Amino acid sequence: MVKRIKMMLVQLRSRLNLQAAAAAAMLLTGLFVPGVSPAVSLSGESTTYLQSLQAADGTKELPFYEYLNLSVKEVGKETISFQFGGWLKYDLKGRFPVYDRTSNDLSYAYLSYRDTAANAVVNLGRVLVFEGVASERVDGIYARVDLLNNLSVSAFGGAPVETGSDLTATANIYGARISHQMPGLYQVGLSYLNEEKRGSTVREEEGVDLWLRPMSKVELMGKSRFNGDTSAWSDHNYVLVLGPFANVRLNTEGSFINYKEYFTGATTAVFRFDPAVIDQHEKVHILGEEVAYDISDGLKVSVNYRTYTYEVAGSAKYYGGNVRYGAAASGGAGISIHKMSGDTDRLNYAEYRAYVYRKYGKTDVTLDLLDVAYSAAINNVKNAYAVTLGAAHELSERVKLGADVEYSKNPDVDKDIRSLIKLTYSFDSAKEHHSANAKPSESAVAQTPAAAPVSVAASELAKPVAAPGQDKPKEGN
Amino acid sequence: MIRITIKVVFLLLLPVLAVILVACAQTKSMVAWHPAEVTGSPICSDCHTDDRTAMNHTSDYITRHKFYAAQNKRTCEVCHRESFCSDCHAHKEDLKPSDKYKDSPERSLPHRGDYLNQHKIDGRINPASCFPCHGRQNNERCGVCHR
Repeated sequence: MVKRIKMMLVQLRSRLNLQAAAAAAMLLTGLFVPGVSPAVSLSGESTTYLQSLQAADGTKELPFYEYLNLSVKEVGKETISFQFGGWLKYDLKGRFPVYDRTSNDLSYAYLSYRDTAANAVVNLGRVLVFEGVASERVDGIYARVDLLNNLSVSAFGGAPVETGSDLTATANIYGARISHQMPGLYQVGLSYLNEEKRGSTVREEEGVDLWLRPMSKVELMGKSRFNGDTSAWSDHNYVLVLGPFANVRLNTEGSFINYKEYFTGATTAVFRFDPAVIDQHEKVHILGEEVAYDISDGLKVSVNYRTYTYEVAGSAKYYGGNVRYGAAASGGAGISIHKMSGDTDRLNYAEYRAYVYRKYGKTDVTLDLLDVAYSAAINNVKNAYAVTLGAAHELSERVKLGADVEYSKNPDVDKDIRSLIKLTYSFDSAKEHHSANAKPSESAVAQTPAAAPVSVAASELAKPVAAPGQDKPKEGN
Repeated sequence: MIRITIKVVFLLLLPVLAVILVACAQTKSMVAWHPAEVTGSPICSDCHTDDRTAMNHTSDYITRHKFYAAQNKRTCEVCHRESFCSDCHAHKEDLKPSDKYKDSPERSLPHRGDYLNQHKIDGRINPASCFPCHGRQNNERCGVCHR
């Protein structure tokens, strides 16, 4: 039975020409958007980039990218939808020294069923799974549902979507998570993941994830992962959040990573324990503290300190702070200074960043400076920096055109100039349909892509709202 | 033997769970999309008083978002489309997130500036931070040097 399912998945994957699907979807969208049926809403965004840069060997490159994401739904019913995201690239000038002239990727594409009860969801296609130990992209199926007594379960299975030399059509991955929660008090989950290639297990992970709020202004969250293949803990990562106390928050982070157990199933050689890069016997303890203070709605300050203690390589510490200011209507600015101090020359440097962005009507202008000062020169360079100047103009409510140019100097490239032109087109047929046919007050409701279907269930989301009807969005950074 | 047992239990539990799920599906689902338009970095506690207040998008939220996503991705989906995640959590990518959004310098996006040299330093400090994004996906560029 299991073998038959595996064979079906392999056949499905081999038949699924993802590149062709991506190209077809992009082409169809262009044809489909203007004349989409009123019964179906089509929303999403198309972003076109034209980048100019020079490769390390001096070759000029002019890559053109088209990114598209779209969502197709039946108006008035939220149960079934189709989600798509992908990109295409074509180098207008020459051949990349590394890549093919053309390239593309299907980030996700799935048919989704969402039930009106029990938060039940079934996604079928290329899906993103974030559940406990799983942070995967899978060609297959994902499902979740709430059970009685605040229990929830989720499961997924299919072919892993990976990049790298040892990707094989005979790979499969599956996993599940079960969780229990007392809303507002805690949520604890147990998860499992198994990945096989060529009939043998390359990853077997079990995990515990936790969110706990034992009292007001105290939150503990994190997860631990166990390598089931070697029966050893691979990592723990927890954060304690205290506050806000008069707009001050304290974040304490504690992590432990056992390299030998953590870097499993890698598809790139760098994580396969080349002693010159990663020592498999290394274990690192990371402790960090961040104090964040919101002086006002727009002005925020934070300082942070983090230590790295290695069992083999010594230790390092990273500390610094930043100040940010942001106002939705006019713009903002930020400055940050951080220092890394470690046992080797490479781990001794200071990092400075300053940026400013300003709105002039429908035009945004940005300036961004980044500088890294090394204690010891690398390739005779002690100071690496990048300066970026950009501007964007809103041509209409749906179309925005922007451009930026970046000048940089670093240990690898003496002088590097890159530029980018960006054209963004947003579309939402439901919104357009409302605008064309509805009274002005109705079109205002349609600002939310799924406004009509969610209105029935809005009370469910708004149930614990302190002040109904005062859902005021805030601008921040 | 233990591994085989886990697999057998897992496979047997799936159909059983499916039946239970259907039988127990009584509660009303969360809305698919936030009823009011949300822009910028929302402070959820301005309106909500339950566990969603933990998702206040304060300036330090970015470092914790992975924990919430691993437990409650459906809550993220009430305001964010899938493309918002895949902008950074990519399968295969040519353009860095910080290059795609140079018009938003206030966003905490990875790998600003020229990251070629800096990755050697960051990779020494904590290679585990590279692994979730480049260990099994989005590593074709890594393979150019790390063969």
